[in-house]
Amino acid sequence: MIKGKLAVALLLIGSSGLYILPAIDAQEPSAPQAQTPRAGWQKEFDDVCSKTDDAMTFSQDELSDLVRRCDTLLPQIDKLDESRKKVYSGRLRMCRGLYAYVLEAKRNEKK
Amino acid sequence: MKRKIFAVLFLLLAFCVQPLSQNGIKKKRPLPYEYGRVVIDNYSEKADIAPVVFEHWIHRSKFTCRVCHVDVGFAMKAGATGITATDNAHGYYCGTCHNGKTAFQSCTRKTSVEDMKTCQRCHSYGLRVASDYDFFKFSEPLPKERFGNGIDWEKSEQLRLIKPATFLEGVSTQRNPLAVQKDFSLNAKVEGMPDIIFSHKKHTVWNGCELCHPDIFVGVKRGTTHYTMVDISQGKSCGACHVTVAFPLTDCQRCHSKPV
Repeated sequence: MIKGKLAVALLLIGSSGLYILPAIDAQEPSAPQAQTPRAGWQKEFDDVCSKTDDAMTFSQDELSDLVRRCDTLLPQIDKLDESRKKVYSGRLRMCRGLYAYVLEAKRNEKK
Repeated sequence: MKRKIFAVLFLLLAFCVQPLSQNGIKKKRPLPYEYGRVVIDNYSEKADIAPVVFEHWIHRSKFTCRVCHVDVGFAMKAGATGITATDNAHGYYCGTCHNGKTAFQSCTRKTSVEDMKTCQRCHSYGLRVASDYDFFKFSEPLPKERFGNGIDWEKSEQLRLIKPATFLEGVSTQRNPLAVQKDFSLNAKVEGMPDIIFSHKKHTVWNGCELCHPDIFVGVKRGTTHYTMVDISQGKSCGACHVTVAFPLTDCQRCHSKPV
């Protein structure tokens, strides 16, 4: 009887580990960034922010689209752990700022 | 001729009076190896450890400004990043390179007392710590400049004596080569003072676009933003770099270079 209860208890403890361990892992801050495989948000970040050197060549529509994509990314970056959030929200702010700046310059040119 | 002398005297006077007018104490001109030095103390002293002494000259010889201030994410103002040991331990900020592989490991809360020497390689403010890098040995073969670090960094790169990296694997985003904007001139306000030739090429090669626009240079329409030497000497616009790291304002002719 005791052996049976012990087995059930051990089984419960063991199975709870299946839920707890991934949860701990999820809260664990990021692994060193260079080693982390590119997550979905990061691929989008790389794509959006890799175009800053071409900003002057884009049309107003293209620039507006890039600004919109930056705005869509921000809530995803806000959900990251503190270190990554700090780095990537800063980087995103810079590339969004540039696109908005060039867009405004192009709008002024047309006036 | 008289006007030119007057302009030069006026500027010299402005440079002397301006720092005095702020706190009554004339700022000491940093020595070549001190120029660009940043002391970072967001959390160090609270954690009973010496503040970090960051030497720009070592790092700028290895990386462009953009790699660190855009890709790695360091703020342009000292102390504004708020770097923590946790950030470093997870491979961000200093920890991007100071990971024990690319460069020596940054210290963490887990660092033992025996390993404090590792921490003191950066946390060295007020301590007598021998550096692995000798400024004079480093600068000896490089082209000379009168002010700042006493090094002509631009020429050093042109001569391939330094090769600052523009890309950091796993960190930087892959960008297309930059289409350089045209140089333009800015009128000097003082009569007799040569106009400024602003070279986009010189600036974008190390900074890209987003480091300066719009955070440092906000104005969109050319001619609508008015720059003053007082503002610049207080760290605004050009002063964001040319008071702290890049050649200083005392080197007038580097910017006021349009032939009269």
